[in-house]
Amino acid sequence: MTAITRTWDQLTLPGKALAILLPLGAALTLGLVLVLVLFGQAILDILIFNLPIVRFAFAATVLLLLAPPIAFVIIYMEMKIIALMNLRIGPDRVGPWGSLLSTVHGLKVLMKEDFTPTRADPVVFTWAPVVVFSTMALSALVIPFAPGLFAQDMNLALLYFFAIGGMTVVGLLMGGWASFNKYSLLGGLRSAAQIVSYEIPLTLSVVGLVILAGTMSLNSIVEQQGTSGWFTDWYVVRQPLGFLIFAIAATAEANRTPFDLTEADSEIVAGFATEYSGMRFGFFFFAEYIGVFIISALTTVLFLGGWNAPFPVPAISWIIDPGELGLGLLLLVLIAPVIGTLILAAPFYLFRSQTRWWVALLIGFVLFNVLVGLLFGLWAYINFDWVAGLIWFLSKTFGLVFLFVWMRGTLPRVRIDQLMGFAWKWLLPASLLNLFVTALAVLVVDGLGVPGA
Amino acid sequence: MDRALARRLEARFGDVLHGPARQRHDQTEIRIGAGDVVEVLRSLHDEPDLAFVMLADLAGVDTGREMQVVYHLWSATTDDWLRVIAEGLSREDPRIPSVTFLWQGAEWMERETYDMFGITFEGNRDLRRIYMPPDYTSFPLRKDFYLPDDAARSPGAGVRHVERTHGPTDATPGVLRQTRA
Amino acid sequence: MTAQTAPRTGNHSRHDPKGTHRSADDPNVLLEDDYAFYEPIPPYPPRTEREAEFYTLGDGEMFLNMGPQHPSTHGVLRVVLKLDGETVVDIDPVLGYLHRGVEKLVENADYHQTISQVDPLEYISSLFCEWAPVTAYEKLLDVEVPRRAEYIRVLSAELNRIASHSLFLGWFALDLGGLTPILWSFIERDEIVEMLAALTGQRMLFNYFRIGGVNGDLNHEFMSRLGDWMSRAATQIESGMGLLNENEIFARRVAGLGVVDRETAMRYCMTGPNLRATGIPFDLRRAHPYSIYPEIEFDVPTRTEGDSLARYLLRMEEVKQSLRIIDQCLEQMPDGPIMAKLPRLIRPRPGRAWSAVEGPRGIYGAYAISDGTDQPFRLKIHDPSFIHLGAMTTLLPGNLLADTMAIMASLDPVMGGVDK
Repeated sequence: MTAITRTWDQLTLPGKALAILLPLGAALTLGLVLVLVLFGQAILDILIFNLPIVRFAFAATVLLLLAPPIAFVIIYMEMKIIALMNLRIGPDRVGPWGSLLSTVHGLKVLMKEDFTPTRADPVVFTWAPVVVFSTMALSALVIPFAPGLFAQDMNLALLYFFAIGGMTVVGLLMGGWASFNKYSLLGGLRSAAQIVSYEIPLTLSVVGLVILAGTMSLNSIVEQQGTSGWFTDWYVVRQPLGFLIFAIAATAEANRTPFDLTEADSEIVAGFATEYSGMRFGFFFFAEYIGVFIISALTTVLFLGGWNAPFPVPAISWIIDPGELGLGLLLLVLIAPVIGTLILAAPFYLFRSQTRWWVALLIGFVLFNVLVGLLFGLWAYINFDWVAGLIWFLSKTFGLVFLFVWMRGTLPRVRIDQLMGFAWKWLLPASLLNLFVTALAVLVVDGLGVPGA
Repeated sequence: MDRALARRLEARFGDVLHGPARQRHDQTEIRIGAGDVVEVLRSLHDEPDLAFVMLADLAGVDTGREMQVVYHLWSATTDDWLRVIAEGLSREDPRIPSVTFLWQGAEWMERETYDMFGITFEGNRDLRRIYMPPDYTSFPLRKDFYLPDDAARSPGAGVRHVERTHGPTDATPGVLRQTRA
Repeated sequence: MTAQTAPRTGNHSRHDPKGTHRSADDPNVLLEDDYAFYEPIPPYPPRTEREAEFYTLGDGEMFLNMGPQHPSTHGVLRVVLKLDGETVVDIDPVLGYLHRGVEKLVENADYHQTISQVDPLEYISSLFCEWAPVTAYEKLLDVEVPRRAEYIRVLSAELNRIASHSLFLGWFALDLGGLTPILWSFIERDEIVEMLAALTGQRMLFNYFRIGGVNGDLNHEFMSRLGDWMSRAATQIESGMGLLNENEIFARRVAGLGVVDRETAMRYCMTGPNLRATGIPFDLRRAHPYSIYPEIEFDVPTRTEGDSLARYLLRMEEVKQSLRIIDQCLEQMPDGPIMAKLPRLIRPRPGRAWSAVEGPRGIYGAYAISDGTDQPFRLKIHDPSFIHLGAMTTLLPGNLLADTMAIMASLDPVMGGVDK
């Protein structure tokens, strides 16, 4: 007994932790294996029986995990593009062209102190960023990214999106109220007023589209836009006014310039986020950029054809079947990287006398990888529908994200009374007009019995 | 130098002026008592042949013997700056009427002068310190002001020992000997 | 009252000011109550009726303490706003966070040293801050400044005016939420500042004017930079303005915002572009000519609206006039000395002198009193930012919180000048 005690006393703190955790882990693994062997079939049956729930849980996890990288990409885009518009250099230190800077920002935010101000309501204060972030991530559940690549195909997907998206304001209001700060309160109330006002034109502007589509399922809406393969099928052609209203209202909904009154830094410091620090602020920050992504994605889905290409891409069949090469495939895998690297490195070494040989080799290796990646992408594009769809979807979505960033770099902010006046006096009548004109057109076309309408 | 202006001013305000109007370069200077400020400045501002509509500056001066308040006025009727010196304010309890009824903008200038010299402007509705903290007790631009005076009473007492090198006992206040316009 | 005699029991005293209590550890220490800590209400009885009126809340009103650490207070200004919803009911600017006591410092420095003391007052356009006291001293000394020195002064000061105005454009847009114009306008400012650094040796606090002239003659680097810049200045400034002028959101934000009429402007002693935007063509360079301005052709632009847009457009118009002045200065620049003959140690005869110059924000004045020693007996600096900030109390009420900073930016105060 004494020997064990003495040994235990001689262990360092990590050693003690390991001494406890290692046996525990071993036991757990053994148990898991046993359970899988004994009850594997039963568990699988339960999972298959509850497939929608499993699918939901899996998709939600994946989306939550994907959210930060997407936010990082958009934050980097914003930093770099606005910097170029401002005639600055922008981030250029971490990673190639500073592209890892936003990731480093994310890590920094994780490491910062996360404090709650005196007199704040700690429970509400803590839950506010969670509500904001999770509503943003949850509303992405219904977005079809590519054929077969979506979390849930609801027939009320659009309604679900607006319902969950509208929950964001609850989180912002919670944060603004619980912070015990007047700037936060003003920011929270502004966001409540703004988002509630812009929900109405936002929702009304797509009702015309829903009349035309006859469904609220986003998958079906995308499929309808791809019948002929040309971009003339997109709803932006048939609903230009609706698209315009949707784009403007969506900007306000995502709290972006020129409607970023909730966090107008020259007026109310950072609005609802003034008192937040550390990762709680990080969640607000991520939520904003994920909101940008999701709003762009929804615009793409509704009006810009979703995953459909704007023109019919001629079908190319992949002629070479790698399996036919036999032993040659092995040789190719062994030799091609070396030769490719050498060939690509040669010009850098031969034509630039300053380049050292190993630098040239490194460049060649990177270029070779890029080339192979491109070839692989091409192969995937041709062979898999969802890859092609994802590429088109993401390029359209990030095109819209670029538009958001562009507006941020260009426009000053509107005033709160101008903002509300614009929503109620212009956007709402315009969306109603759009709705009535669409309904009338549908009635007339149906009445005339035009085939195919 | 606008000689005509000096003659006009002497003719108009002859009995309230302390001595003749003095002129030098582009400036004309008249001196009046503190009690005549309202009457003189109102006439200067309102009368169409004077029309000194712009108050360019309001300054306090501590000559060491008395306090003065100096107004600089501009008018389109003359090429000169007009300097009105209200003199003879006691250093113990300097009081002078406010000119905020003519120039609202003088409110802050008077607050500054009050803050720096302790001159009370009667009629200024917001006469409180503007630069110095509210619990400050001295008037820094007075000639008998020495930093240790205040530093000894302030929360920062003893923090900056440099401020304590000269006590108020071993220094004499500066006195303005003679002035010429 | 020493620690021994102080009552230990209870940490409230009848004589303590409202909103304070005694520290439990040391009864000599007065602490602010919680609510006083969170509210900007001062922890002492009101000193004036105006203060009492301001710090009494009406129905549905609240205080909002803005600054001194706020992103857009142009330095260190604290403004207490009384809000009704988002509407500003009343405003109480609290100054002194940047007070350096320059007027006291100059009384303990000799005449030459005071030039570098007054420099950092108005750090955006330091040359005007030097110009006023320097000319006041010259009047005290009855000294004639050589004509070449006058031309160099006008040339460098007009360059500084352009730098100041282009910075105004950027800050104004930034306070309205536009990110880009500030960086575009900094390009112009940086070019001018580098040019002046070649002339004076400093980028911001030039310390260039001397009693009786200027510190150094025009040099090659300055002239080559100036010539290079003048060839493209007009188009560049035009492009910077194009970011804002044709922007519908900007125009709607600032048109009719913070309107000042002529009477109010005169009552509040406003000068400079803020006064000329109301329609009064008062420009000291014409109204009370000094230096070589009578020999130079330029217009005094005015506008009649008196709102923020007018103030902005007027400043941009002034930039063009400044370019004209610089052109003529370069053409007419005479040869000759750049300093009047003066002894090293200056002892002006006892007397008083007032001098004012037209700066980018209004008139910069200096009132100097000499008592015959080598130190000024009194130097009063008049700064337009101070006056214009004082006028905020009448401009703001009735506007929205969002316009607080827009109106303030359109008046273009610099806190270094406000706080002396």
